[in-house]
Amino acid sequence: MRPATAKWPKMVQKKTFDRPRRDSSPRCAIRKMSKEAPLSVAEREFILEALRENVRLDGRGADQFRSLNLSFGDEYGHVKLQLGKTSIVVRISSEVTKPRDDRPFDGLFNINLELSAMGSPAWENGRSNELEAYVTHVLDSVIRRSNALDTESLCILKGVSCWSIRADVHILDYDGNLTDAACIAIMTGLQHFRRPDAVVRDGQVIVYGVEERVPVALNITHKPLSITFNAFNEGHNIIVDATRKEEQSSEGELVIGINNGGDVCFLSKFSGAPVDAMEVVTRSNVALEKVKEINAQVERVMQADLAKRAKKGMAEESRAENDR
Amino acid sequence: MSAPLILLPGDEVPSDHLPSNNSNPLKLGPGLRLLSQPSSKPDATSHVLTATQAGLVTTDAKRNTVSILSFPNRRYIPTVNDLVIAQIHHSSIDYFHCMVTPHTAHALLGQLSFEGATKKTRPMLKQGELVYARVLSVGVGAGAEVELTCVNPATGKSEPGGLGPLVGGMVFEVSTGMAARLIRASSSSAEQGDVIDGLAVLSELGKKLESLGGFEIAVGRNGKVWVDCSNAGDSAIKATIAIGRCLQTTDDKRLNPVDQKKLVTRILREMKLA
Amino acid sequence: MVGPTASLSILSRADGSASLKCPTTGYNVLGSVNAPIELPARRDALKPEEATVEVFVKPGNTTAGVGERYVEGILRSVLQKVILGRERGFPRRGVVITLAIIGGDAVERGDSYLNILPTLLQVSLLALLSAAVPMSMTFSTALLGVTKSGDIICNPSAAEAKAASSLHVLAFSSKGHLLLDESQGRFEFEQWESVRERAFSICRGMATPGADGDVTMGDGGDEARINGFICETVEDHLHRDYSWKIDSA
Repeated sequence: MRPATAKWPKMVQKKTFDRPRRDSSPRCAIRKMSKEAPLSVAEREFILEALRENVRLDGRGADQFRSLNLSFGDEYGHVKLQLGKTSIVVRISSEVTKPRDDRPFDGLFNINLELSAMGSPAWENGRSNELEAYVTHVLDSVIRRSNALDTESLCILKGVSCWSIRADVHILDYDGNLTDAACIAIMTGLQHFRRPDAVVRDGQVIVYGVEERVPVALNITHKPLSITFNAFNEGHNIIVDATRKEEQSSEGELVIGINNGGDVCFLSKFSGAPVDAMEVVTRSNVALEKVKEINAQVERVMQADLAKRAKKGMAEESRAENDR
Repeated sequence: MSAPLILLPGDEVPSDHLPSNNSNPLKLGPGLRLLSQPSSKPDATSHVLTATQAGLVTTDAKRNTVSILSFPNRRYIPTVNDLVIAQIHHSSIDYFHCMVTPHTAHALLGQLSFEGATKKTRPMLKQGELVYARVLSVGVGAGAEVELTCVNPATGKSEPGGLGPLVGGMVFEVSTGMAARLIRASSSSAEQGDVIDGLAVLSELGKKLESLGGFEIAVGRNGKVWVDCSNAGDSAIKATIAIGRCLQTTDDKRLNPVDQKKLVTRILREMKLA
Repeated sequence: MVGPTASLSILSRADGSASLKCPTTGYNVLGSVNAPIELPARRDALKPEEATVEVFVKPGNTTAGVGERYVEGILRSVLQKVILGRERGFPRRGVVITLAIIGGDAVERGDSYLNILPTLLQVSLLALLSAAVPMSMTFSTALLGVTKSGDIICNPSAAEAKAASSLHVLAFSSKGHLLLDESQGRFEFEQWESVRERAFSICRGMATPGADGDVTMGDGGDEARINGFICETVEDHLHRDYSWKIDSA
């Protein structure tokens, strides 16, 4: 064998698996995307060194999420999510519109995410950035295109009218892991939301007010969530739910969208250094476990809230009867 | 001491809250401005002090100053003589261009503004490296540049504060209000165990981590705290993280000294350091 | 009447933030302030000697449109008057105010923003205070509707506002100047005059510390006295922030 070819794999390997250099390496696509101020050398080195010892800045384990706090607003489908210091509000709304001509049996569902200067001073108001496009893409794939919300059930009258469901995502505070947090918040919102009841009578669509008829829950076919993994130290350390600083020192990320049944509906190795193929398999198991955990928490919190509403509604009803 | 007085922008500072020391001219701290008020008499104009920020009025009778303590989470604005932790962004022939707070104009640090620096011995700082520096000037007029220095211009020394490049360690972010308190607490010569500015967390950490070789800390008014425990050997990383978490939790939860001590004990146990 | 509820400095990334929930209109607005920061994209539009105030209104469940741009203009012009953009560190920098409507009905396209304008203004003020942006004075706002029968209602609900023959938003500075007067609908000048008087008492009726430090009580009736409300919110928060200092004194 000629020496030149013998050298080839070595050179390739050196190029790809070199330790991250101190200067701004192009590996950190995430960092570039969010336009955050760069991390100092000391911070990046420290985070990497600590991860080698399996220690994270907030004392969490590698497969541990930050504390997740979900609460609901006055309206149905108004969710406030707090994941560590990342904070999101999702509002679900509905209106009656005309279905698309090519899909007369389908309702509409849209996810709207706009990063504003509220979430981070690095984001400029009224200007979209790459992070926004990226997160929107993941949310769209995990939730909308996996048909988590059954759009056929949103049809009221074929080709004439249907429900249009809209999810507005407001990022209030950004401290990493936007994708997973937004995903949890939207899914919670969709499950919590109640749309007004509508019927077709003599070819006419009648929409009942919330006072007239009990509003209806949306038809959720499955509950997929995204779990984002961040890799460090040439793939030796892989963690979930990275904070902003961890994201900034990460060498690459892997996003798995998976539901309770273990069906993978989204898989992305969008940026950064290569990851061992076996990792994708093992991480899917971790993701499944996390999704089950989070979905259980969502269910618990939501049932508690709905029970509270039902109680309040009953109290109001009986008061109204007493008045009569 | 009179009852705490909180003012909103536009409120006048009542004269009985001003220090009564008349030998020195009164110095105004941040958040206050002097307005002349036309009075009924044509020749005499009276002056009033009004607040421009919401905050607690504080006075220092010894130095004859009055200032407003505003919300502790505000953004840092460079002020002459403040100690800051700056991050090198890039360097040019004469200066290092440094980041003091994110998303603001870079501050300038002279290539030779280090102790004993000459053209040959000056530190070669790269992008992303940190320096502990003092604000030398903030310029006059709009858009003026902030200049930093790592040396006392009068003595040519790096001062007892230990100005200069910060190597290794870790930086934690705290509120600017907390940073100001930490600077007073860490620079005061009081005995260990004393509570300074409502802070017991540093002295408690010092006591508890003494067996590990102690730690080094540098606090920048721009809300950054640099912590280094390289003496602690194998526990260095854990000890550094523990210190950072103690400081940030004290700040976020506004803990009182008793709770700060409890926090230190709890976190050190959690990190398996005690 | 249940007064509005507010909280300050609730966000960690922004330099200042506040939220305000108004029970009668149902609006819940969250505001953040980043200041002073660099506005790289607006470099040529910056005024050389002053800070540039930017306001961004983000509707809760619709896409921002003309209505939002219009109300942003009103907010900017009021806030610019009270912000001291020439103080140290501020000239040529931006004061970026972001307001997200996170609760309450959507403002319909083509509908006026008067209903929510007072809430937006007050949240902006609280967020600016919490970011310690220098200001010459504070202000307070009131929303009043005049019904078809000529009665003045304060803080009308969405339905009441729709039925009203005219709607008025007034803002008074802490020195008593009229800072903003936005009206819509049909009304007589005498009506406006009584609206102004009523608004003044709502905004300024509460305890105002006099120059001598004394507290003079005005009579503002049962209505929420906005100026006092803002003072209280700020004082409560500062008391908690500086408990280490106040308690030891």
